[in-house]
Amino acid sequence: MLKNIQEWTLLLTVFGVVTLIGNWIGYDIFSIEAILGMIVLIIVSLLGFITQKIVPLNIPSVAYIAIYGVLISMPWTPGSEIIVAWTSEIQLLALTTPILAYAGIAIGRSWTDFMKLGWRTIVVASFVLFGTVLGSALIAEVVLRMQGII
Amino acid sequence: MQHAEVRNIWKDWRLHVTVLLIVLGAELVGSHEFAVGPGVVILLPMLYAIIIGIMLYFTPVISEKQSEKSEPLIVLGVALLLAKIGVIIGPDLPEIIAAGPALLLQELGNVGTVLIALPVAMLLGLRRETVGMTHSVAREPNVGLIMDKFGFNSPEGRGVMAMYIFGTVFGAIFMGLLAGLLATVTPIHPLSFAMASGIGSASMMAAASGSLISLFPEMEGQIAAYAGASNLLSLSTGLYVSIFIALPLTEKLYKWFSKKKHKDEVT
Repeated sequence: MLKNIQEWTLLLTVFGVVTLIGNWIGYDIFSIEAILGMIVLIIVSLLGFITQKIVPLNIPSVAYIAIYGVLISMPWTPGSEIIVAWTSEIQLLALTTPILAYAGIAIGRSWTDFMKLGWRTIVVASFVLFGTVLGSALIAEVVLRMQGII
Repeated sequence: MQHAEVRNIWKDWRLHVTVLLIVLGAELVGSHEFAVGPGVVILLPMLYAIIIGIMLYFTPVISEKQSEKSEPLIVLGVALLLAKIGVIIGPDLPEIIAAGPALLLQELGNVGTVLIALPVAMLLGLRRETVGMTHSVAREPNVGLIMDKFGFNSPEGRGVMAMYIFGTVFGAIFMGLLAGLLATVTPIHPLSFAMASGIGSASMMAAASGSLISLFPEMEGQIAAYAGASNLLSLSTGLYVSIFIALPLTEKLYKWFSKKKHKDEVT
């Protein structure tokens, strides 16, 4: 467990440094607040991983991490303004770029499998987007009419 | 995380420097958008990053081992991303609670994805990829969920990544065209489509609500407010809808369809 925590911390730090540099070059943000914001995000992630290991339920660590993020930034939480101020220095897109860079390197290995999906992927993906838009709109329509809004 | 072997990956500085250089290159090029019909195609740095990453795998710069080592880093990156999304939602929580029952209930509409797309995928002969592809619209939280549950190199993982890449590249233009088209050809109210356009991706929400606003300019304020709130809600609840409703439903439907298909083949 301790070895895991040490390894997670080191890797999150490596990832955090790459993100901070991207945040600087791509979005012109480089400040003490940004570094503190990244440290907050790293701690939240670590707590999520540790919770997942300790709690015997089959709930993924990302679920705990998102809940912890919400809890520390709610207006009712004392000191949440500081958390929000620091973390808002880290751009969402600055995090997604390195994720997809690593993903691209990892995808290379399964590229042939991707190609096999081919045109069928595009057909299915279109239906996925179509399904969610139509499903959500139908429910919204019924509830909005019941509420008398439309 | 439980599947990933994470020992000593941080020591591979050549891998991390390569990624840093990819990120720098991608961010320097920056984002570009251009209009296609009623929609907008947005090219973001993350798109260049994934393409450069894939190409580098086929050069001597990246070894097979380094490609394997990249997988746990995706999981860690997604963890940081989820922490960030959490602190985006937190401050707006009172607003979300006040936004009303319609916003909340329409989140369940994402299940429509499973009902419509899963049969199509099965008919086209896809197998376990179907589960990753059709359980949700596959934005970041859902990618994290599937990776966490099935692992990166599983068929489910490939399915969710294929859907994710499609959404990243074509999502905005597709949603822009679809929202405008459906709002004009169906009797459903534009405000219902405004809520439906928030599926957890800022660029898709912007494209969809943008084309709705250009079609119904008199409702501009309401369309923007509903779409924005719904998008926030999708980011906060979408993961839980997936975990507790959509993914179990996908698994059930998948089993039902495979059995039926198997029977048809036998008889």
